[in-house]
Amino acid sequence: MQFNFFHLMPYPYLPDDFDDAEKYPSPSLTFSNRHFDPAKGVDLYHRYLDELEYADQLGYDGIVVNEHHQSAYGLMPSPNIMAAALARRTSRSKILVLGNAIPLRGNPLRVAEEIAMLDHLTRGRLVSGFVRGIGWEHFAHSVSPAESRSRFNEAHDLIKKAWTTEGPFEWIGEHYEYRYVNIWPRPLQSPHPPIAVPGAGSPETMRWVAENHYVYTSVYAPVRIVRTWFDGYRKAAAELGYQPEPEKLAFATPVFIGESDAAAHREAKQHVEWLFHRGLRQGVELVSPPGYVSANGLRGMLASGMKGFSQLSYEELIEQGMVIVGGPDTVRNRIGELRDELGFGQLTMMIPIGDMPAELTRRNTELFATEVMPHFRAPATDRAPSPAGAPA
Amino acid sequence: MSQAVEPAAIAAQRLTAGSGWISYFRAGEGRPTLFLHAAGGAGEWNPFHQLLSERTDLLAPDHPGFGASADLPELTTVDDLVYHYLDLLDRFELDQVDLVGASFGGWVAAELAVHSPERIRKLVLLGPVGLRVPEAMVADLFLMTPPQLMRALFHDPALVEAALSVEPTIDQIVQTQRDLGALARFGWRPFLNNPKLERRLHRITAPTRVVAAGEDRIVPRVHCERYAATIPDAELVVVPDCGHALYGEQPAAVAAAVTSFLAD
Repeated sequence: MQFNFFHLMPYPYLPDDFDDAEKYPSPSLTFSNRHFDPAKGVDLYHRYLDELEYADQLGYDGIVVNEHHQSAYGLMPSPNIMAAALARRTSRSKILVLGNAIPLRGNPLRVAEEIAMLDHLTRGRLVSGFVRGIGWEHFAHSVSPAESRSRFNEAHDLIKKAWTTEGPFEWIGEHYEYRYVNIWPRPLQSPHPPIAVPGAGSPETMRWVAENHYVYTSVYAPVRIVRTWFDGYRKAAAELGYQPEPEKLAFATPVFIGESDAAAHREAKQHVEWLFHRGLRQGVELVSPPGYVSANGLRGMLASGMKGFSQLSYEELIEQGMVIVGGPDTVRNRIGELRDELGFGQLTMMIPIGDMPAELTRRNTELFATEVMPHFRAPATDRAPSPAGAPA
Repeated sequence: MSQAVEPAAIAAQRLTAGSGWISYFRAGEGRPTLFLHAAGGAGEWNPFHQLLSERTDLLAPDHPGFGASADLPELTTVDDLVYHYLDLLDRFELDQVDLVGASFGGWVAAELAVHSPERIRKLVLLGPVGLRVPEAMVADLFLMTPPQLMRALFHDPALVEAALSVEPTIDQIVQTQRDLGALARFGWRPFLNNPKLERRLHRITAPTRVVAAGEDRIVPRVHCERYAATIPDAELVVVPDCGHALYGEQPAAVAAAVTSFLAD
């Protein structure tokens, strides 16, 4: 099992009356940046990077950054900048950029170049995720959600070809046109850095990820629903005659590990509620603007009966398996159960949850590394230092 | 957004087009009138259609990606739609038509009249979008919740409450999102406008009536005023106590504003 430490880098200093959802429908897109205090921001960035570096020191297999725009939910408009900041101050963990929102880029060749640079800076520890960007980010960067999927597909094809084909070559596509594609540097890993793609149940995405043998990463959802996604991915793979190893499935979840179950719940509740009730307060109109999901995908979402994150109580979030909270024994057992039920080989954990303070984050990061990870480290071969693995 | 309407009295028909087909209604006798619908209301034969078909030979197609028409994903811009409708006029052997367009359909109608002025006898634009007015942009309907959108579209609160009192089915939500998704395809950026359109409007030769909703909360009045001021032979009329939904909110008054202008 591979354990990845994911940081969202939220901005926790929301106004006192932020629970007024009429006044603040979301921390994203329209929540004014007058609420961002640069004096606090500068300390946050350095604290958050320290936390990722600490995870590397403690032996986590991966440290994870991602991309969000115009939001207090996450402060990484460019995940590649954060990966660069981490590259020379870490040495063991893979660095997972999960991922670059390639449909939002006017010039996706820039992503191919930056990732190739990062591959060298990390000496081949880089994993390159590609995402579409959340609905609201299409408003934020003025990209039509109706074009999002086809821009994603073409940007991916272009980037992969730029990494793997000797240049110069021409790229004359529907969205992008280049007479000369010839990136310097080429990536270090051969044929290219491993690719991971998040999915939220879209059948098109499952099939596409399976076709390419990429890592399929779940987004936050109840376990019963993630199970249908992972089953769908394995089914799509089977239809292609491909049996993905468990490491090709990554389960993403917030994890709060305390000294005991009772203490963990007492400590975790407010931070879990921050994440789901404040950070993820967002209506359908923000998450899924017109054209963003196919009719099939939309039908599936509506039929699944999933509630909005902010409508789920702490108890419901625990009960549905959207977050793992407990003492070391409980967390260990729960992860074992979930692994057996869902069949994943990577666990991508948000350990800094919402507005958690630095000391608590540090303690939980240590507790998990000492009390949980060794239990899943079976034979020594599992731990062999690897240059990020072959990207299938 | 669609209102509850009477059962379709006229059956939709299909015509192969591009990579798929379009769905259209055709009914009535008299001079041919091409009606281009707004973002909402595709696929429905509603009271406004009925009233127009009592005075004209009405041809009312669903835009590609809307209503019962196929996606025709190869069409990605309003410019593509202009050629799509020129093809359609040719297929129906209509050399000249009266052209009526509402909101998004009004934009397409104006572009069509700019492109081929000789094929339009008279032009009616109902609360049209399409002009770039930086200081008075069309409301961002893509970011509205369904209740917000209904309140923005209709002036009469009773119509809003009636529409919101019925929980939509999954099919209805999927249909609405498909229509809006098609609108996003043609109008996300530039936002429901063509920066070049206004300086081309002088090409329109047809006598034109621009119909503004008295209480339009989607398209600021200045858009209608600029169409009326820039098209050479144009007049502006206002339907009072009416929201942007226009023919969805006051079908009789709006149909009268159209048919009285087309009559001679």
